Amino acid sequence: MTLEKKIKPGSLDTGPDEGGLSRRDFFTAAGAAGVGAALAAGGGTEAAASPIASSSMEWDYEVDVVIAGGGCAGITAAIRARDAGASVLVVDQNFDLGGRMLHSGSFLSLGGGDAIQLRDMAGEADAEGFITVPPVEDPEELDDSVDLLFTDVTDWSIVDRKAQSPYRYNDRELMRAWAENCPATREFLMANYVRFTRINGTHGGGGLSRARAPYCFLMLGDRTDIRAGTITAEDAGVADPERTSAMAPVQMEDASTFVGPGAVRNGVALARPLEFSAREKGVHFMLNRRFTDLIREQPFEGRILGLRASYSPRIHPESGQRLESFWQNGNVDERRETITIRARKAVILASGGHAGNPEVRAMFYPAMREPAFPTSGMALQGPGGQDASALIAGLRVGANLSGMQQNLSYPTTFHIATRLGTRDAYTDMMPGHPTFAFRGSAGLAVGNVGFEEFIAVNQVGKRFFNEVRLPKRPGANRYPGDGGAPNRGVAHVPNDWRNCRSEWVREMYNYDHGLDAALAMNEGSTAPDYHSGPIWAIFDADAIERTGWELRFPYVNENNGYYFQGDTIESLSRQIYMNHPFQRVPLRYLSQTVETWNGYVADGVDPEFEREVDAPMYAISRPPFYALSIMVVWHDSYGGLRVNGRQQVIDMRGQPIPGLYAGGEAVGGFNKHGLGKGHVHGFIAGTHAAAELG
Amino acid sequence: MGLTHARTMTAVALAASILAPAARAQGADGANALAAGQTLYEANCAICHQSSGAGRPPAFPDLRGNDILADPYVLVSKVAQGLGNMPPFPTLTAEEIAALATYVGSAWGNSYGAPTEAEVAEILADFDPPMAPRSIWDGVYTEAQAERGAQVYRAPCGICHGTRLNGAPDDNDMIPGPALARHNFLRIWDGRSLGMLYTYTISTMPQSNPGFLPPEDYAAIIAHMLAVTGAPPGDAELPADAWELGHIQILPAP
Repeated sequence: MTLEKKIKPGSLDTGPDEGGLSRRDFFTAAGAAGVGAALAAGGGTEAAASPIASSSMEWDYEVDVVIAGGGCAGITAAIRARDAGASVLVVDQNFDLGGRMLHSGSFLSLGGGDAIQLRDMAGEADAEGFITVPPVEDPEELDDSVDLLFTDVTDWSIVDRKAQSPYRYNDRELMRAWAENCPATREFLMANYVRFTRINGTHGGGGLSRARAPYCFLMLGDRTDIRAGTITAEDAGVADPERTSAMAPVQMEDASTFVGPGAVRNGVALARPLEFSAREKGVHFMLNRRFTDLIREQPFEGRILGLRASYSPRIHPESGQRLESFWQNGNVDERRETITIRARKAVILASGGHAGNPEVRAMFYPAMREPAFPTSGMALQGPGGQDASALIAGLRVGANLSGMQQNLSYPTTFHIATRLGTRDAYTDMMPGHPTFAFRGSAGLAVGNVGFEEFIAVNQVGKRFFNEVRLPKRPGANRYPGDGGAPNRGVAHVPNDWRNCRSEWVREMYNYDHGLDAALAMNEGSTAPDYHSGPIWAIFDADAIERTGWELRFPYVNENNGYYFQGDTIESLSRQIYMNHPFQRVPLRYLSQTVETWNGYVADGVDPEFEREVDAPMYAISRPPFYALSIMVVWHDSYGGLRVNGRQQVIDMRGQPIPGLYAGGEAVGGFNKHGLGKGHVHGFIAGTHAAAELG
Repeated sequence: MGLTHARTMTAVALAASILAPAARAQGADGANALAAGQTLYEANCAICHQSSGAGRPPAFPDLRGNDILADPYVLVSKVAQGLGNMPPFPTLTAEEIAALATYVGSAWGNSYGAPTEAEVAEILADFDPPMAPRSIWDGVYTEAQAERGAQVYRAPCGICHGTRLNGAPDDNDMIPGPALARHNFLRIWDGRSLGMLYTYTISTMPQSNPGFLPPEDYAAIIAHMLAVTGAPPGDAELPADAWELGHIQILPAP
């Protein structure tokens, strides 16, 4: 028990005695909230941030392992290090834990012959007996090994549907370590209350030649009990289709096909059990605290000694109250503006990628700089989500980067969302979760086919692409044969030149690059930024009749700037210009565009974008007229800090930076979408960080 | 639209429409049989075997240089009766099957020849005669079956096609699928049979694991799709039988 609160000399109202208070006294006698409140009054403003530690450096807290970020990599690392006896403090910028893991689908691709593959191969149920359905996959599709997995994720011959090579330049050492640790990580997760469904295929970008991915599940029951594996319908968010809970920001999905009656799944069944276990084991959490800087002995030399973090409360826009985490035990309520935390053994950076930071995104692809378009999950994670904090702090102490080109290869990196009328067009909080207020509307999920019903216009009100093809995404990388599923189609031969020969690439290439048109310069783009601006779906009352779209709260919100209605096109244009935060110019061509479009509909021909080839065209003529925002969503980060097979961050000379680890989306050179990356990285980092000499 | 042609040519009941009589009247003419065969192929076969004939092996065989086409009995019986991933087309006439055989026998560099209409008719005589054609608007499923279908649908299908069957995935990580109900569905499947939809679904869905549900579940899911589309329920369940389903056509709302 070694977490200590250290008080700087000169602090106003803290006596010297408190400085020596042990963690046990601090947390069990006083209670975290009480002490934190006392501290809040005395928090002095930290001196200007500097990554250098002088000999006179005073620390506010001291602990064995400090982890920046409480998502899939961070919580896994925390439990792993705690299991090895280390004291662990996790700082997270958000008010609650889970990061992107919490709003994920919990489709967790590991493999290499892991325990769930073996279980399903043998046709066995889970130890608790929840699973009552037979395996979904044939045994031969589950027959896996570490070598096969490693080969799979380093197969140079697999290119994606944009004909780029996401695997080709993956870091070999990183992938080998990942493959070797997949089976152990699966068992680790199972030992921390995570329950896995039957395996159902594999994750795009996660290696395709074997079935490797189950979901995580809980069973609906009378009470929510992580130990027993049950959750109430209210907590699971399935009691009311228009309401989510504080526990489950995204409504859980039916998993009966993969478990049995009453099973529900998504990231809640992964994030909450891990969080529960971490709190139970004595991991400490400092929420509402954004990691800002690493502290190293010398600017580019010596050990990483700790980190600096600043207070980042999320205040509910209506109530004015600070948002609080779903569970509180183990929380350190620290409200000073800036504090330092010493890590006796190591710092682990697990604070996510850069997709929420437009200026840093530009490092990977200049088109990513338009700030109108956010990262996925922006309402849930807040402004500090995916803010590139690990990358920025790493660069400031001499870290190297890796995988800079890989951002553009997997289709989940960015795409046009088919959920309209909300800025937060990916995650799906409903009223009932406190962060619903930050999105204001749940959006209208219309699918790709919904794009047949309207015209899409840019910030000056001009059409810019064939709407039907606009939301199309390139699929996951595929082997020759059919689909992205294991053992379907032609037998897969790894590292075979035929996998990427032009004939095959031509066959699987199905991408029209609508997104690039959406981000293109237009008549409203001005120097120096040339921002492309927002894009809008424009339709009329007849479209509502055709589709049955429910234009009402909570799906759309007349006051959040992402949905408008008007009796004329002119009035619609005016409202968008007046009330949308990123609409920098008037939509001065919109009336003319609608008129021209209606002419095309009458003629049955769209000479600009050949819409008639793909779907029927509908006139926009019966008021009221509507506008819903269309969002480009930035997701994954595949470029990031360079690490080795122990997840140690590597400097510009190729040497590990002592005492610094990183995992998950903070890391580059590992082009794999999803949770499998983060959990294994956390597992490896937690293992080695705890073994450092303190 | 090609699919409208398909409907007129495959439905015996609609033989009086524009294209079908023309195709039949000129059936003896090789060039016209070829053209009629190609139209039939594009409407009924290309969804799986592709316009190029390349198919998507192994689920959907490559028809280019495929020696199975040399055996008229196998060809005709597979088209009429179906087998495995191949849906039956019980409402196609002998003349239409002969035209199809003419096309696939000579397209893409093939030179297999084709049976005559009389030869096709002789082979067809070995099998049950077709049932009376129906459409999805004739009350072809039960309410209870559709309700069960809604339950079965949720986990494996809703993930990509959405609870509302509008192709908006329940799981945001998934790439949106096609709409499975309402006007978009009716347009895409216009003129095709439930037999085609049923076998196509079993052999391709769910994408990660095609065909893993029991056949009755696939039939129930289709009943759910029809219910959401607004087709009325009836007294008898949709059978989990591709041949019987091959007699029920997907047509616009009357």
